[in-house]
Amino acid sequence: MAQFLIETSWLLPVYGLIGAIASLPWSTGWVRRTGPRPAAYLNIFMTLVAFAHGMAIFRSIWNQGTQQLIFTWFEAADLKLTFALDLSVVNMGALELIAGLSLLAQVYALGYMEKDWALARFFSLMGFFEGAMSGIVLSGSLFLSYSLLEILTLSTYLFVGFWYAQPLVVTAARDAFLTKRIGDVLLLMGLIALSAFAGSLNFDDLYEWVKTADLAPLTATLLGLALIAGPTGKCAQFPLHLWLDEAMEGPSPASILRNSVVVMCGAYVLIRLQPVVVLSPVALQSLVAIGAVTAVGASLVAIAQIDLKRTLSYTTSAYLGLVFIAVGTEWPGVALMLLFTHAIAKALLFMSVGSIILTASGQNVTELGGLARKMPATTLAFVAGALGMVSVLPLGCFWAMRLGMDFLWGDHPLLVAVFLLVNGLTALNLTRLFRLVFLGPAQPKTRRAPEVAWPMAVPMVALSITTLLLPVVMQQMSLLPPWRYINPPATALLVVSGLVGMGLGIWVPLSKTLIRSLNRPVRILQDLLAYDFYTERLYRVTVVLLVSSMARFSNWFDRYIVDGLVNAVGLVSLLSGESLKYSISGQSQLYLLTIITGVSLLGIFMTWSLW
Amino acid sequence: MITHPASVDADIHPLESFVERLLQGDALLPDTETNVLEVVGILKSYGVVLDAYSVNLCYMADHQFLVLFPFFKYFNGEVTLQKLLKFWWHDRINYEYAEYCMRTMLWHGGGGLDAYLDSPDFAQRCEAAVQAKTRHNPPIRLLHKLCPDFLPEQVRMLAYTSALGQFWRVMSDMFIDLSDRYDRGEVRTIPDVVDHIKAGLVAAAANPITYSVVLDGQAYDLLPASAGLTFLMDAAVPYVEAVFFRGTPFLGTVSYNAQAGQIPEEQNRFEYGALYADPLPVGGAGIPPTLLMQDMRHFLPEYLHDFYRQSLRGEDDLRVQVCQSFQKSMFCVTTAAILGLMPHPADTQNPAEQQVNRDYLLSWMNRFTTSRLPVVQLG
Amino acid sequence: MLSALLLIPIVGAIAIILWPGELKAAQARAASMIILAASLVWVALLASRFDVHGSGMQFEEALAWIEPLGLTYKLGLDGLSLPLLAINSLLSLVAIYATSITIHRPRLYFALMLLINGAVAGAFLSENLLLFFLFYELELIPLYLLIAIWGGARRGYAATKFLIYTALSGILILGAFLGLTWLSGSSSFDFDPSMAQTLTLTEQTVLLVTLLIGFGIKVPLFPFHTWLPDAHVEASTPVSVLLAGVLLKLGTYGLLRFGFGLFPEAWFSIAPWLASWAVVSVLYGSLAAISQTDMKKMVAYSSVGHMGYVLLAAAAATPLSILGAVLQMISHGLISALLFLLVGVVYKKTGTRDLTVLRGLLNPERGLPIIGSLMILGVMASAGIPGMVGFISEFLVFRGSFTAFSTQTLLCMLGSGLTSVYFLLLVNRSFFGRLAIAPPTATPQPDVNLPPVAWSDRFPAVVLALIILALGLQPAWMTRWSENTTLALHQPYSVVAQLPRQQVSQLPLSVSCSDTADEVCQP
Repeated sequence: MAQFLIETSWLLPVYGLIGAIASLPWSTGWVRRTGPRPAAYLNIFMTLVAFAHGMAIFRSIWNQGTQQLIFTWFEAADLKLTFALDLSVVNMGALELIAGLSLLAQVYALGYMEKDWALARFFSLMGFFEGAMSGIVLSGSLFLSYSLLEILTLSTYLFVGFWYAQPLVVTAARDAFLTKRIGDVLLLMGLIALSAFAGSLNFDDLYEWVKTADLAPLTATLLGLALIAGPTGKCAQFPLHLWLDEAMEGPSPASILRNSVVVMCGAYVLIRLQPVVVLSPVALQSLVAIGAVTAVGASLVAIAQIDLKRTLSYTTSAYLGLVFIAVGTEWPGVALMLLFTHAIAKALLFMSVGSIILTASGQNVTELGGLARKMPATTLAFVAGALGMVSVLPLGCFWAMRLGMDFLWGDHPLLVAVFLLVNGLTALNLTRLFRLVFLGPAQPKTRRAPEVAWPMAVPMVALSITTLLLPVVMQQMSLLPPWRYINPPATALLVVSGLVGMGLGIWVPLSKTLIRSLNRPVRILQDLLAYDFYTERLYRVTVVLLVSSMARFSNWFDRYIVDGLVNAVGLVSLLSGESLKYSISGQSQLYLLTIITGVSLLGIFMTWSLW
Repeated sequence: MITHPASVDADIHPLESFVERLLQGDALLPDTETNVLEVVGILKSYGVVLDAYSVNLCYMADHQFLVLFPFFKYFNGEVTLQKLLKFWWHDRINYEYAEYCMRTMLWHGGGGLDAYLDSPDFAQRCEAAVQAKTRHNPPIRLLHKLCPDFLPEQVRMLAYTSALGQFWRVMSDMFIDLSDRYDRGEVRTIPDVVDHIKAGLVAAAANPITYSVVLDGQAYDLLPASAGLTFLMDAAVPYVEAVFFRGTPFLGTVSYNAQAGQIPEEQNRFEYGALYADPLPVGGAGIPPTLLMQDMRHFLPEYLHDFYRQSLRGEDDLRVQVCQSFQKSMFCVTTAAILGLMPHPADTQNPAEQQVNRDYLLSWMNRFTTSRLPVVQLG
Repeated sequence: MLSALLLIPIVGAIAIILWPGELKAAQARAASMIILAASLVWVALLASRFDVHGSGMQFEEALAWIEPLGLTYKLGLDGLSLPLLAINSLLSLVAIYATSITIHRPRLYFALMLLINGAVAGAFLSENLLLFFLFYELELIPLYLLIAIWGGARRGYAATKFLIYTALSGILILGAFLGLTWLSGSSSFDFDPSMAQTLTLTEQTVLLVTLLIGFGIKVPLFPFHTWLPDAHVEASTPVSVLLAGVLLKLGTYGLLRFGFGLFPEAWFSIAPWLASWAVVSVLYGSLAAISQTDMKKMVAYSSVGHMGYVLLAAAAATPLSILGAVLQMISHGLISALLFLLVGVVYKKTGTRDLTVLRGLLNPERGLPIIGSLMILGVMASAGIPGMVGFISEFLVFRGSFTAFSTQTLLCMLGSGLTSVYFLLLVNRSFFGRLAIAPPTATPQPDVNLPPVAWSDRFPAVVLALIILALGLQPAWMTRWSENTTLALHQPYSVVAQLPRQQVSQLPLSVSCSDTADEVCQP
């Protein structure tokens, strides 16, 4: 039985896909007289199956150890592309996390999207999304991982573009795709090079190859940088981070997954690639630099946001920055733990946010307030999620951050400071949000705020409990360190940073008039952060300008130089002149044809005479 | 009463012609043969759908009082396997839309009902009902202690559920009656339609809106007759304001991004209601009225269905066509409401009263400037 | 066996023209579809008997024709031509299917379409240089007429431009063929890979460059491409499908078969230049596509970019890259045909292709939601998203070429990124947002109403989309036919290596390579 389950483990990513395909009759509008909800039930069912199957495999490999399945997909000349699935405890854990969160998000969506007639398309996308993510975490082959990352790019595009008629979605979906695509193309370059150098693209073979690889330093550096570009885009790291902000135009249940497990998938590939990236010290340092810049920058930007979803999305970038630091300093264990704990807490925060948006018909934090008294499940979700994210109490992320600080303590004091800063700033931000949204007097838009219905409340409460019990689960899986390994000063500093952040969050005045300060320097700083250091404008005057002016130049060149030359010869304009213009099927065409055929035949016969 | 800043320009109002039309007894919608056919036909199917909505809203208010997991709230008390399978196949009325309208009304507030729900009298009644309901449920009692506004807020929602159910009961009967009169040839023009609705509204104007729930055999009056809530001013007028005018921004066409500022900060500047909504995206993602159009498509009278079939796209764009007709009919209902609330009779000869009437109508016209009024004139 | 592929459509064409009784458009269309279906079945039959392990020509047929001219009727089929024949029959069928039955002068139209099919099949099958040339010219005239008679407003200009360019291309090709035969002292034009071996490298290079320009016009490669956007914009949808899907492949087929096949030494000596030419073509085509506002023109420019990949792969000439080139030809044929079909439906329903006014076509009730979804699939396939045939073919091209020309390959990959730029501009501008087919006006307008889209409009696109997906998921179904041939195509330069030593040393810039060499052969 166990063996059968393992042999059929290739089904794990396929379940989602089956759900997506089975929903097509509804999502294509083929079924018209009845509604789209069967599609939703189908997808929820398939996710449930995936979760159960994954759980069974998880239990059996817990005893058996890692298993690998290899399928040859394509073979030609010297190229052999195989799909490998690595069934390890970590990978199966990640898969269960994805399936579990996807399940909760789908049940949640049943409530959140109940008035949306495109429900079937939404659930199709969910299935598609889930399938791709499951594949990525199981993949033991860079080729497969890359392919699925691209599928993820596509499904992000489709998700952000879900409400395609909404004006901001038009650009948001495009930008999300293109930004990720920049990373993807660079990664593809790295992939092509790696495939040529190493032969195989399976991670295990790559690790073997690295031991004997002898690349020129420049080649190694370029390769390393290309390989980290893909995850940089996927994990919304500077400078490819802007898409996550814009992606918040998409539906909230998709944002739950995007901010938790989708970014995790990018980081997961990075962790798998890390033993290859070590070929280039520059790439490792870049990882640390990118991570640190994003972690601090995004934490600051998050504080200046007034949009509930966006402020949280920036904290996602910030935490993934910490993951980048962990990978760059070659501590993948820290990265993994941070990914897992962050995913759960962030998913919970986004569930809470979704229910606020639905209730208040808006996501502007300055227009909210006083929800705690009326919405217990939403409040619980926010509080549990926030505590799970920052290191104040010994919940999820605390343990991951503690571990990271422990490892970095001796060699990288600056990076330890980054961890502390991110923790403090996030605590400050979440406290600020809590005060704005849940405390204080009710504002017009939150005056009538009944708690959301059970399809949304149940996932929130379930995940809240999971978050609060996570340390117990981690203890059971021996992921928590024994007391004697705990570094007291580091741990104390961590908690203090969280407390200071919270304290600042409690202390900072939040009156509406202060949202935009009258003090000019303060306002400039506020705007700088609120508009994400004007990154969008930076894009616009660099990459976008470059491509668009080159495009315009090509078009001009084409029209006036290349074509101009041709037309200047006069032949075309002469022959297509007045005489031809008005005769569609007239003699002139016949005449032309005769000329051409004549010329051709003449060519033959001229040379014939030469014989 | 809906009051609006009557900032009437000294110049001629762009919609001045509509004021004249209304004063002459015409409607906002041009009186054409197809318009009558569309409006009456669609109001017929709307009446059928409203009947189902109304029954279900009243059922939920009365029998699903503070049920934590109302799995069968749309079943109206009749749970059979066959019905369950039908529901799973989504072969049913989309009651979600009724709840959506109810929540929109609740959220925008206005009128005596909204004010009463904040009164100490209601708080007291509500608390008694909550105590009775949670008597045997200690965890919920604890939650009620910790979060004292949670359950009362749900009860307020139930009060609105009941009020909307009662309102729609009247409207449903009125529309079915209209259709019957049309079939008998008693209604031939758009002004006839308006008159019918106006008469119906006036007749029901003083009907009381009450709500009581029976728990353990004892009745708890949540909206007592003594609160003096009436059909026209406490249900119809807030409903028109919340659903016809303000509405809520559709996720499918409006960005919720706070920095983009597409959604006004003040709710009274919302223009997402039925008179403003764009019918084109209906059927697509993030457009809640699609549910209503989908429900109505099943109950179209044959003459209207035929009319739709003859259009360029036939049945392909049925829901958009239904929505266009529906929007026209809502302009008729709005006309009836405007005329019904006019301070003086339309044919008054008193110049002072005429001026008051004009100002009143112009203040409405201010609200119509960005509505679909110009488009429905096109036929 | 092979002659049937020529005879079926050509005899069919003649029959349609000469049919004694009345022949309505619908009947002519049905008859053409039956004829093309028969030829497609015939291709399938050939494929079932095709020996995938053989590397040489199969099913060869030879008939003496005009002996003094060296013209023999010699046909053969190998792994390079088989997929192209299949796509020729398939897309011709699709093109006929996509033709409206209200078309005027139906007899001539369908006869010409069939004639093109036959001529193209002949060109792909020819084993004689002159015979190839004859078919190459034969295909040109019907296409010219199809654009000139059934085209858009500026059809005269576009058709003439097409004719002049392609005729020039034909003359250059003919010149190269004549030169080759003449210089090599052969008395026959029969295709023989070793024909050019007695020529000096300079002679070879001159002939090769002539051929390159000739075929480069057809492919088309920068700067010989400007006929293509004009021709596409004026051509009707079925003609565009044929033009992009099949006829451009004659150019790349010629490059591989005759350019690389006849002049391997010269090819390798100028290969770095060819690769750089590919880069220019790819980037130029992609950038020019970005600033187009006519949907069809954008798709047309994308062809310039995507056909550039084939040149890159051909320049690299590794076993993998040549296989990639073949797959890229097929994948471009399928994808561009799909895109042109969809653009055609949009134009038919909205009356415009202007990206500055079209909006919101995904609208589920009044718009073209299925067409829009297929369009998203098509542009994603074109942008190289995995799971569709565009990805694996580009992957093979890049992976195969990287070992030879890494810089040029990486630069070409930028084109893949640019593809997503212009195609997302297309999709997001015209399919997202609120439905509109005209610029907004100040006065109120009635809501947009587009004619309904019938399933017959969608059907060919759905079929192509399914093939794109199937081959993307299982590319071996495609590559198995070509693998051995492309390996063998790659052999000529090992043949050179086996030549007697002194002969090699006579060539100043000659190539020396090992059998197993994957790296570029440096002079």
